[in-house]
Amino acid sequence: MISATLEASCLISPVLFALSSSEELSRIIASLERNLLTPIPLCFMLGVICKLIHGGIKIPKELYLSIAIFLLMSIGFIGGHELANEYREHGIGTVWKPAIVTLFLGCVTPIICYGVLKYLGRMSIADSAGIAAHYGSTSAVTYAVANSFVEHSHHPANSFLPTLVTILECPGIAVALVIGAWLSGKEQAKKALATGVPVRESRLREALYEVITGQSIMLMAGLLVIGFIATSFLSESEGKPFDPIYEFFNTKGMIFKGALCIFLLEMGLVAGERLSDLWKVGPFLLGFGILMPLANGFLGAYFGHMAGLNLGGCTVFAAIVASASYIAAPPAVRLTLPEANPTYSITAALAITFPFNIALGIPIYYEMAKWLGAT
Amino acid sequence: MQLYPLKLVTVVGESIVMHDIAMQGLKLGSSGYTLAEVIGEGARSARNVSLTGEAKTMKLEFIVSMDVAEKILLHVSRDYFEHYAIIAWMSDVQVVRGQQYYPDHK
Repeated sequence: MISATLEASCLISPVLFALSSSEELSRIIASLERNLLTPIPLCFMLGVICKLIHGGIKIPKELYLSIAIFLLMSIGFIGGHELANEYREHGIGTVWKPAIVTLFLGCVTPIICYGVLKYLGRMSIADSAGIAAHYGSTSAVTYAVANSFVEHSHHPANSFLPTLVTILECPGIAVALVIGAWLSGKEQAKKALATGVPVRESRLREALYEVITGQSIMLMAGLLVIGFIATSFLSESEGKPFDPIYEFFNTKGMIFKGALCIFLLEMGLVAGERLSDLWKVGPFLLGFGILMPLANGFLGAYFGHMAGLNLGGCTVFAAIVASASYIAAPPAVRLTLPEANPTYSITAALAITFPFNIALGIPIYYEMAKWLGAT
Repeated sequence: MQLYPLKLVTVVGESIVMHDIAMQGLKLGSSGYTLAEVIGEGARSARNVSLTGEAKTMKLEFIVSMDVAEKILLHVSRDYFEHYAIIAWMSDVQVVRGQQYYPDHK
């Protein structure tokens, strides 16, 4: 356990180095205060507290499902609109590098997570791959909160970040599931030889199809294309017929921000319900749920900066790389690796990493990006 | 009124596999099924994984003859009991218009 902790601390040493000077530390504390006292994290905390004291807040299922659809559509539509403007002004010159970096990190982070869980945490193949699938993918709500933070800090992110969120959704889940299905298939084949019990049929292809055609990707990618087409092909002389739609979906607008508060309240209620599972997952996963996002966030900020993202862009990019999926990944993992215990992955993603990111992580990624020289 | 003695097979568990079990039930000889969202808690409730979208727990029912009921229960217990939060049982029912559930019914 001690060696595992030492190795984990080596992994995040660049992160700790980034936080070393006292001036930076006091700046981080100021950022944390600025972040924690905004309505979005406060709504999340209200949800958690309400669950802990058995309060009476109940968000109707239909409402939060509708809000989830609205948030995904807004991120996609505005992303497509901004992407079209970016393309009109700079061609694909500014977008291709971040897009490749996103794809690269989407493939690398689940492999790192798998290695840490399997070899440092001594977890089973299925559990390691299952958790890695969650951490390799991303959380659109964390994107929305991070975006709101950088706007609040007067450093808006590059306009094409929603495109990167869409790109990051799939590869992480796919890579981790392929690793898990392949290695646990080999393990099962050995067991089958010894016991004579037939090997379970792999459902990897079905699970990957579900991820790609799932609600998150279909809505975000679909609306991204719609926003891009509408912006690219409707000329100024036509009086921007989609202006009312733009206003409705505007991620800086009051409807989006208000809906995000309600969704975060629900997320708080769900996370609060999961808090009781924390004791089941043990200290290793608790540490993993906090240190792994910091390491992934550092990679995101570093590669984002290398790819030319601005300060806000690096911060938001770090946050999406650091975040863990809790909508697209769980059903895919359940189908492909049924022997993986979902209590581990869901509790880590939802009750540890998500609250950590929205309360403390995002301001830390902001400081990391600053320390790396992003402007 | 004539009543027909048949078996009601009930499967309650994780929504993620319930559609598969329903389809498999049809292949094993059931002429139909009923699937509904339910609320409940069991020893493995933590295995409910769907945060949004589908219901967490579902109840699936088949009205079938004895041999089909046994086939369905065997399939569920063999393929799903080890890794999924699922329970299945069979009970006796008296069905009106039950002649359609008999194999020799035209």
